[in-house]
Amino acid sequence: MKENSLKAFLYLAPALLLALLFCFIPLGKAFIGSFLTISQQGRILGFAGLDNYISLFRDQAFLSSVKHTLLFTVLFLPLNTAITLLAAALLKTKRRFTAAAEYIFITPLAFSLSALALIFKEIFRGRVSIINRIFGLSIAWLDESIPAMIVLVILGIFLDFAFDYLLLLSQFRGTDKSIIEAAEIDGASGLTLFFRIELPAIQNMLSAVIFMALKDAIMISAPVMVLTEGGPFRSTETIMYYYYLEAFRSGNRAAGTTIAVLMVLFSILIMSIISRRRRDV
Amino acid sequence: MSKIARPALIIILSLLILFPVLYAFSASFFTPQDFTAENAKLLPSSFSLHNYSLALSHRYFGRYVLNSLATATMTAFLRTAISIAAAFAFTHLRFKGQKILLPLLLSTLFIPSDALLYENYITIARLSLIDSYLGIVLPSVFSASAMLITIGAYLSTDKDIYDAARIDGCRDYRYILSILIPLTVPSTAAIFIQAFINSFNSYLWPLLVTTRPKMRTVQVGITMLGFAEEGEYGAQFASIIVITVPFLILLAWGRKSIEKALQGRITA
Amino acid sequence: MKKLISISLVALACLSLFAGGSSESGNTVIIWHSNSGAIGTAFDDIVDRFNETVGEEKGIEIEAIYQGSANDVLTKVKAAAAADTSTLPDIAQFDATAALDMMNSDYLVLPEELGVDTSDIMPAAIESLMSERGLLAIPFNASSLLLYYNKTLFDSLSLTPPETLDEFTSIAPLLGEKDSSGNVTRYAFAGVPATYELGAFIGAQKGLSYFVDEANGHTGTPRTVLFGKEGTFRNFLVHWKSLYDTGYVNNITSGVSTEFAAGRTATMLASSSNLSTVLNTVAGRFEVGTAFVPKTDEEATGGVNIGGGALFSFTSSDAVKTVLEYLSSEDVQLEWAEKTGYMPVNTALSDNPEYIAFLADNPQFRVAMEQTEASNPEVTGVWLPSAYQIYYSFQSEIRNVTENGKDIDQAVSDMEATVQKALDDYARQNLV
Repeated sequence: MKENSLKAFLYLAPALLLALLFCFIPLGKAFIGSFLTISQQGRILGFAGLDNYISLFRDQAFLSSVKHTLLFTVLFLPLNTAITLLAAALLKTKRRFTAAAEYIFITPLAFSLSALALIFKEIFRGRVSIINRIFGLSIAWLDESIPAMIVLVILGIFLDFAFDYLLLLSQFRGTDKSIIEAAEIDGASGLTLFFRIELPAIQNMLSAVIFMALKDAIMISAPVMVLTEGGPFRSTETIMYYYYLEAFRSGNRAAGTTIAVLMVLFSILIMSIISRRRRDV
Repeated sequence: MSKIARPALIIILSLLILFPVLYAFSASFFTPQDFTAENAKLLPSSFSLHNYSLALSHRYFGRYVLNSLATATMTAFLRTAISIAAAFAFTHLRFKGQKILLPLLLSTLFIPSDALLYENYITIARLSLIDSYLGIVLPSVFSASAMLITIGAYLSTDKDIYDAARIDGCRDYRYILSILIPLTVPSTAAIFIQAFINSFNSYLWPLLVTTRPKMRTVQVGITMLGFAEEGEYGAQFASIIVITVPFLILLAWGRKSIEKALQGRITA
Repeated sequence: MKKLISISLVALACLSLFAGGSSESGNTVIIWHSNSGAIGTAFDDIVDRFNETVGEEKGIEIEAIYQGSANDVLTKVKAAAAADTSTLPDIAQFDATAALDMMNSDYLVLPEELGVDTSDIMPAAIESLMSERGLLAIPFNASSLLLYYNKTLFDSLSLTPPETLDEFTSIAPLLGEKDSSGNVTRYAFAGVPATYELGAFIGAQKGLSYFVDEANGHTGTPRTVLFGKEGTFRNFLVHWKSLYDTGYVNNITSGVSTEFAAGRTATMLASSSNLSTVLNTVAGRFEVGTAFVPKTDEEATGGVNIGGGALFSFTSSDAVKTVLEYLSSEDVQLEWAEKTGYMPVNTALSDNPEYIAFLADNPQFRVAMEQTEASNPEVTGVWLPSAYQIYYSFQSEIRNVTENGKDIDQAVSDMEATVQKALDDYARQNLV
């Protein structure tokens, strides 16, 4: 290889330019902005020190949004992992009729977020909803805090399910067959085989899937917007939905930039923990 | 797993997954009264294509679909092209700053773009790109993960081919187009498909940067059709079915290649 | 391969043709609005007629763009203003939640600057949009809060709509209904009051009460919360809790009209502008009645404020002036009122024989006007920052008190803190 910096930069220019324009510069602007007082129309009124941060942490609504996001994550992450893992495990060996199921399991990919949210709104509409009728329940789904959160979790799973399942399935199928056969010869079978041999074989992909789901859960905003608008009674306002409310709806630049900076720091924290862990494995 | 449990679980899971689809299909034939019936209905009281004719005669519905297809295709094309160019530079060329630029670009993986929504909105508006396809597409074109996947794929190709091609006087772009891309079809297809789906499904960003109905994407437009406000809930479901069915067919047809692409992504 | 690339490039080039393409000739007036459903259809009709008649004559075309709810319109306008004011529409239709932001903005063009003639516009509607800068916008869709009730049910029980919350509490058990297992099958009331409803429940107390100082923000940017220290929110919560404790109030925040139309609640509070839509969805299953909003207590005599929306302009041109005058003109306001339930803002209509005949045939449409006439004109909508979030916070606190047994004084002080924080944040960032 001969050194050719000019040519290399030409090939890299689009990527660098876009990363600069839509990632590094805005990040810098948000970071600086979080220490300033800026008016709705973008006028800098002065240096704010840590005022924006202090004000945010005194804000009950923000603290609640943190709580709601954690609740969502705690519900979503294990459920999503369990269901996608189950789906992939069920179909990992091709048998009769698996082709049909394989297709059905990826159909959620065809549904876009807002279409699905609109369908969910109808399926879970009040006490007389179809879901209550089928399961004989009497829950006012989207009018009560916890049930509304559950509907949001179900919607979240629908949105992530197909892709996660596909990743796990291809990993299961790509596992070296000889290891499994060797274990079978040793007398391992059924669930033992699954948990001792097959699951560890895909653990890298599994942790990648869990990690992506974690990121999705903590960053969730658009499903909240379409399905619940943070309601009922502000009980499904997540951090990023709150960011949207403050930055765009209320024009509260202080809260907007401050949340942005905190979420970036938080995301960097999680990513470093995960990449360190993956290196250890 | 026992012989009965496995098929039973598959069937239960399939039913759960299909329920929203089937319900939406059924509801697309509901009359307005079916929606407010004393007991929620599973099946329409009568069969009529009225809702579909309402949906299809909506002034902007077709335009929404077109906009979504266009922006998703643009995102997928541009992202793939940029990832290929960058990955080629990192894997096939030697240059000053290589050790700094790669980690710099990869560090964007750590930065959630949702948190920069406001700043990016201002940038796009200042560039006068509100209400343009470019405005919808541009902020999500560069993706560090797509670049990373491509780098992974190119690292596994044989460098001797490149050297041989160079000696034969083959220019770099020729080498990329006629050798590198054909060699790495699965990973290229994977990033293309992922970009397309991501872009097609994005909601918040297109909502922010479009102000005219003829520029809205399906995701945004479908919540603004106005059928529900008129009590024509059925037409809303008919519109959902109309935009979803082509994708269901596409999935049935392309399932094998998607799976293969993902397999490729892993082995890459 | 080369072929494929060139085909893709051609395809991309074609796609970008669709981009942008704003067809802005000098005399297109862009209006961002929030009218949907039956109201949206009525609005489109009015716009179409303008384009075919007055517009055709003067070479002006209105381009009306639906942007979602009134809040969505405000969000879009504020975002546009923060980045690049050239992307602003010429006119936007807002409700009271926008007033404070508009009052403090430098991109708003006042009706006075445009020279719009406002002599025919209802004084109470003008009053509702008066600020320290003068009149902020042209009233267009004025409404007031009404109590909608199932008249068939009330008649069968020989009841009349309640005039106070205490009276409501005493008749609620008669209006409600339970099945054999004790589940409520019909509620006396459905919904949870928010800023709009509290405008009447708090604003009317002692003849006139403000939420915040500066006359609810109309004389300047508010700095201090008043509903806490004046005890008005507390007083409301005490009465509302008794009503809730009858067991016949359904605390739902969505689908209230559907519940009403399905006969699962005897009453609801809603804007008069919903009247046509409600009549359509009830579709004759029972007779719909409208009545004055019940008073919080006997001393709460202030009535209701004028709600609804108005047209704010961002462009100074004769075309904009023409459009604003057209939309508030006698004929347009007549059609608009008849098709929607909004109160006509043009005073000329009080002598208009067609409108008088319409009101005689449709008594439900008359109540909103009568209620406004009976109200203290100084009871005005509250202008707050972060109005969208405060709206939901009020609902949360009311729910906490009614359902979760939260102490009323605690709820009042929490609510006070929420609004005070919004006022402080706003002042810190927008007032130098």
